[in-house]
Amino acid sequence: MSMPNNIAPEDLALFAMQLLSKEEAAEVAAYLERSEEARRELARIQGDLAVYAHTVDLHSPPAQVRERLMKQVAREKKPVPIERPAPVETPKRAAPMHGGANVAASTVAAHDEPEPLIGRTSRLIDDEPPKRSAAGRVFPWVGWAVAAGLAVAGGNLYRQRDSLVQERDNLHATVADQATKLDQMTADTAAARQVLETLTDTTAKRVMLTKGKTAPVPQGRATYVADKGALIFTANNLDPLPPLKTYELWLIPAAAGGAPIPAGTFRPDERGNASVILPTLPKGVEAKAFGVTIEDKDGAATPTLPIILVGA
Amino acid sequence: MYRETGLVNSPPPSSQDDAGLLVLVQRGDEFAMSTLFDRYSKVVYSVALRVLRDPASAEDVLQEVFMQIWRNPDSFVAARGSLGGWLAVVSRNRSIDALRRQRPTESVEDIALASNYNLADEAERNSMMDKARTVIHLLPVEQRKTLEMAFFDGLTHSEIAEMTGDPLGTVKTRIRSALMTLRKAFTV
Repeated sequence: MSMPNNIAPEDLALFAMQLLSKEEAAEVAAYLERSEEARRELARIQGDLAVYAHTVDLHSPPAQVRERLMKQVAREKKPVPIERPAPVETPKRAAPMHGGANVAASTVAAHDEPEPLIGRTSRLIDDEPPKRSAAGRVFPWVGWAVAAGLAVAGGNLYRQRDSLVQERDNLHATVADQATKLDQMTADTAAARQVLETLTDTTAKRVMLTKGKTAPVPQGRATYVADKGALIFTANNLDPLPPLKTYELWLIPAAAGGAPIPAGTFRPDERGNASVILPTLPKGVEAKAFGVTIEDKDGAATPTLPIILVGA
Repeated sequence: MYRETGLVNSPPPSSQDDAGLLVLVQRGDEFAMSTLFDRYSKVVYSVALRVLRDPASAEDVLQEVFMQIWRNPDSFVAARGSLGGWLAVVSRNRSIDALRRQRPTESVEDIALASNYNLADEAERNSMMDKARTVIHLLPVEQRKTLEMAFFDGLTHSEIAEMTGDPLGTVKTRIRSALMTLRKAFTV
């Protein structure tokens, strides 16, 4: 391949964007090998492209992508590296001075390098073992092979055990976390149930505190969260009703012209107490006021005058 | 380069945060991984979506790019520039590969960025984005369109020349000029 003396910056930009043909790209790559200035310019262009990439209209990825990634990350859990002090080695001979990986490589090479042939030969002559039969030569190696096999199998078992222990610990942690959450939810549910039972218990003593001695008057208290369409209504000192009649609670919307929305029927107990807990209501309806009327026993779609209780 | 923006020289603390997070990722820290995802997934996904115009394919690229970090955090070293910039470029290149339905054409390790923006800091990242968008918007429309076709659509200069009817040299010059304008805007 011919080596060009120069590459136009325009081509470097195309190279950075992977828009050159294979031949053109190879030519530029070869030039980059030789020219430090070209490499610097290419890095500058990549920086420019990084800035340009950030001009894109931003969109958030769907939430489940994060979940999917983290699951994959968990599946490909990495073994935590154990830091050990570097072994002290006594090189057989001084390694030549190179940088970084070369030093390590040369050190390894020095260890792996075979001894000089002359020394090896003389030792063979001096320490030559007595000649043995084929079986005699093979059997000692069988022992070593079995030992090596057992060592490998043992290593594998040890790694599997570590992995299982790690998995077990993770499961324990997850179970403990879930148990804590469950306990919390159980406690919350019990508290909520107790509130409801107290509010709706017909045997509960309900006392209305008033200033001085005044005759008890019918009263109601509505607690309403428009966003959730949640309403809790309690009433005291209500007059008893004829058998075929019922009280009905109404939500009067804040929106102009909004028709009253029926929010539940109720009959007071013998002490004049009653409640309506979480009737079915549309969400997001702002209330201007609440009212109570007397209706036929099945309730009505529109309120019947007079309004017995009203509050805004 | 880019010295006047205050985004170079000694790495700002949040930039070091990226390096610190990568060290943790190297040790298998999943929380560090999720932090990096929360920080840069929007840009990576948006670039991929712009190139591929298909949410499902963009999600695949997003997953692939971040799994690359998890599997081989060494593929990015701080000396190569900002992690955010690197991710944006890698996302674009992976998306172009997907568009061409071919295997990745280059190792991500090969990309070095001369810039060192502090993209780990959201405020600075947003500021840089705004400035870059303004610069691009002010480019002559031919330059802007040509760069867009090359970078986001992955069209070669020959394809662009064929589509626009402009000479090859003009296409190359427009791309180069647009990038130089962008560079100068962050230099002065």
